[in-house]
Amino acid sequence: MKIATFLLIGGIAGTAMLMTGCGSDPVRIDPTGNQGLTTVDDINFKDWQIAAEKAVNSLLTSGELSRQDGRKTVVMVSVVKNSTTQHINTNILTDKIRQAILRSGKAVTTTAVGGNGPEDKASKQVRKLEDDEMFNQATVQKQGTAIAPDMSLAGEIIQQKTTLGRKTESYFFFHLTLTDLKTGLAVWEDNVEIAKQDKKPAIGW
Amino acid sequence: MMKWKIAGMMVAAVMLTGCFQDTVNTVENSEKNMQAQSVNVQNVSTDSFLKNRLKIVRVDKVTLPDGLLKVQVSAVNVRTGFFSEMWSWFTNDNPYSITYRFTWLDQNGMEVNTAASTWIPLTVVPGDTIRLSAVSPNSRCKDFVLSLRENN
Repeated sequence: MKIATFLLIGGIAGTAMLMTGCGSDPVRIDPTGNQGLTTVDDINFKDWQIAAEKAVNSLLTSGELSRQDGRKTVVMVSVVKNSTTQHINTNILTDKIRQAILRSGKAVTTTAVGGNGPEDKASKQVRKLEDDEMFNQATVQKQGTAIAPDMSLAGEIIQQKTTLGRKTESYFFFHLTLTDLKTGLAVWEDNVEIAKQDKKPAIGW
Repeated sequence: MMKWKIAGMMVAAVMLTGCFQDTVNTVENSEKNMQAQSVNVQNVSTDSFLKNRLKIVRVDKVTLPDGLLKVQVSAVNVRTGFFSEMWSWFTNDNPYSITYRFTWLDQNGMEVNTAASTWIPLTVVPGDTIRLSAVSPNSRCKDFVLSLRENN
């Protein structure tokens, strides 16, 4: 009996030591690869990349960034509303699209005005230097010189969750629009849909 | 005894076919009206498994009005038929999961990074044709490389 008790305690202790020791050192993974974690309730980094890739391809194919008068379209990033249950930073998506717009050579983006305020407050700040005698006024940016945007990029990210027995599912709907600010009309719209599903084990969590 | 063995094998075969995922059947117009601009390609295949499962059917390109190049690669999962489907089911290859990436090169041969410079996962059902497309990041990009691999 004592031997059996001793063996039982030893077995439990040994198992506990093995389980706590079975970890691994952190490793760097390729951010462009597919080794990232996939979770049902969150928008993982691969989801952002897929959404950006499809949105950029669709926007560039539409040709709506090109102008006939020879100058480049000025695009501002407005609000991309988060309608998911997670706290997410939608800049992950809009920054990729904005960079693609700049790289295309068809349009430029403004940081002086945005849906959540200016991305860079410097455009407004430097114009206050007109009242500051310390600065050479010939080098200070003048009022009335900043370029206003022609178009606005906005959107919404919506999440719908479903649970059925041990299965849980999340459906993410990335909706983006490009609006002509002169007319208020949407000149481009597209959606990217990502669905993920998970099944909990019968025993455990 | 032999009759029972044969009957048992037939029942097992019928049950196994019920485990296979349905393949894709297609209907399309036989007289095409499209005027696609195909691209001559060179394939470098280092993965025989991928090569035997995914067949590149055609590569088309179009220059968009604003000078950007759009490329579309059509590929079909050729693992159809009873033994192919059975083997795919046995090796857990059905549906087949791949990942792809477009790389764009400018007129000097330099790579141009884009939001699309990332591996995109995709599932291909046997018999289905997938169309992988991408738009060049700017009008200076003249060449592309499509990389394909299995998504394990």
